[in-house]
Amino acid sequence: MAEPNRKWYTGMTTQEDWWAVWLGVGFFFLAMVNIFGLDLVGWMTYPTKWVFSPPEGGKGAIGGAFYALGKKYSATSKGFYSGLGWWSVVWSYVIFGAAACIGAAFMRWNLKKFLAGWTIIYFLTIATWFIGHHGFIAASKLDMEKYGLGFALSLGGGGSFILALIVGLVIGNFFRGFAGYLSEAAKPEWYIKTAIVTLGVKLGYLPIKLSGMSQQLGEQATTLTFDLFVAGAAATIVAYLIFWPGVYVISRKIFKLPRKTAAVLGSGISICGVSAAVATGGAVRAKPVVSIMVSALVVIWAVIELVVLPGFFTHVWPTTKDPLVAGAAMGMSVKTDGADAAAGELMDSFMRNKVEVETAGATVWPEGIVTSSAVMTKVWIDMFIGLWAFILALVWVYRIDRRPGERVPGSEVWHRFPKFVLGYFFCWLFLLALYFGPGQTGAPEAAPFLKSVKAGAVPVEKGMRKLFFMLTFMSLGIITDFKKLKEAQFGKMIWVYFIALFLFIIPVAILIAYLFHHGMKIPNIAGF
Amino acid sequence: MLLECTIRHDGANWVVEHGTNSISAPTLEELDRGMERYLKEEGLLKAGEKAQVFMAFDNSTIPQWIRQYSQHYFNRIVEVKG
Repeated sequence: MAEPNRKWYTGMTTQEDWWAVWLGVGFFFLAMVNIFGLDLVGWMTYPTKWVFSPPEGGKGAIGGAFYALGKKYSATSKGFYSGLGWWSVVWSYVIFGAAACIGAAFMRWNLKKFLAGWTIIYFLTIATWFIGHHGFIAASKLDMEKYGLGFALSLGGGGSFILALIVGLVIGNFFRGFAGYLSEAAKPEWYIKTAIVTLGVKLGYLPIKLSGMSQQLGEQATTLTFDLFVAGAAATIVAYLIFWPGVYVISRKIFKLPRKTAAVLGSGISICGVSAAVATGGAVRAKPVVSIMVSALVVIWAVIELVVLPGFFTHVWPTTKDPLVAGAAMGMSVKTDGADAAAGELMDSFMRNKVEVETAGATVWPEGIVTSSAVMTKVWIDMFIGLWAFILALVWVYRIDRRPGERVPGSEVWHRFPKFVLGYFFCWLFLLALYFGPGQTGAPEAAPFLKSVKAGAVPVEKGMRKLFFMLTFMSLGIITDFKKLKEAQFGKMIWVYFIALFLFIIPVAILIAYLFHHGMKIPNIAGF
Repeated sequence: MLLECTIRHDGANWVVEHGTNSISAPTLEELDRGMERYLKEEGLLKAGEKAQVFMAFDNSTIPQWIRQYSQHYFNRIVEVKG
């Protein structure tokens, strides 16, 4: 029997949501030991662009295609980590694998199956990460000559994400037996929630990083992250008030769906996919099968959005003119955390490449800000789910069903609260406290201290975050079986979803994102 | 009096389990009436008394692949009068 949520602390050692916090914050603390002069995270692996035949004096030898981040960023152990090279892939496999296995054991998963799945998914991910960093795929038009190339697709890190998703989808749709074998470790939501916790590190580290270039840039970055935080909240509240009633009315009036199905579908399409569909199903006391059907639809459509929207937002509208509008709109349009963060990360890569090429290198954006804007709106949406479901439960229990004697416990809000968000905010605020406190807002006197923070933060916000994003793309593909759409008797629900999403949710999301994010500028770090 | 139980859905009925005993019904209204009968028959609720039944949802009803997105369906509190 799966554990019921009885007490406020139920699930702290047995639920993925909490384990995303333990993994993310655990490695973050390990990273912060750097402040005391000990680098325990420099082994985290990271890829770099490579070619089969690097030009003389140029870049891109295969031997250096993976390196330990400590080689570049460690303040105390550069020599040791420089020697790891490709071995950093094995170090990362062992250490992250051990941590993931501890989580899997606490969550009472089949450990043998998990380890086998983790091993295969990890090395497939590394293989696609490697291929995706071939100069032909990843090099920008501005630096392709350094690799001896006359042409490059210029996809940046985005090429690896696309490849991972394609490989995952091939396994999920053409090798279903194999996908089933991997299923114990194909957990996109766990991986993305962990990655989102490390995105909190990225957000907190951004002012520290930019203050290393100039103190003014650091201050700009701090202001921008606060602006994103406030604008994300405002946009989310407006979106809730427009999206949910809109989809509910479409479902009821046009498609004549029953009230409870319309409510669950309304939350699934308009708020935050599976979590909201399950929360609303529970709130209106629907039979679980309704939430399960809507969830299956959400997962499939989210992957379709992940494929379509990053390219659309980058090249059609709002493009590089309003990258943060695009990010926020992504957060409101893509309906699972995994697909949204993955789409944001993909678009981040596309946008940075595009703006660099468009301006011939005069504009360079720090990586991760577009992703942060996509995740910020989603995080707010996630946090509001519990409250929204609680309101719906009150309306249903006291006004619609009116069952005598039934009461809605207030603890429902907490049980539905996305716990990984706590890790995200914790890491962000911890680093901000270091920046404003001993970091003296990036003043030159605090440079040695900030350098030690950087040595710890970079492997987590760069190496661990990207690896978990890659694992998300791969796992998302593995668990996405398009045959489900054909097999299941979704009937009208597929059309409600299609019409509501593309003709209502996405256009309105862009509009709301525009209202709250238009004009926000990403700091230009060209020349630093 | 507070009685702690678990609730799940078996595909056709809502099922409440209290220790080794279980009550099932296709709708929550019927389930609550069944609960009231059970409490009286077991002598757990006497005339004029009030009991609160806390029903914690057993998450095994939700498939494993969905639990990674959401780990909570609902908990109910039902007040029953004897």
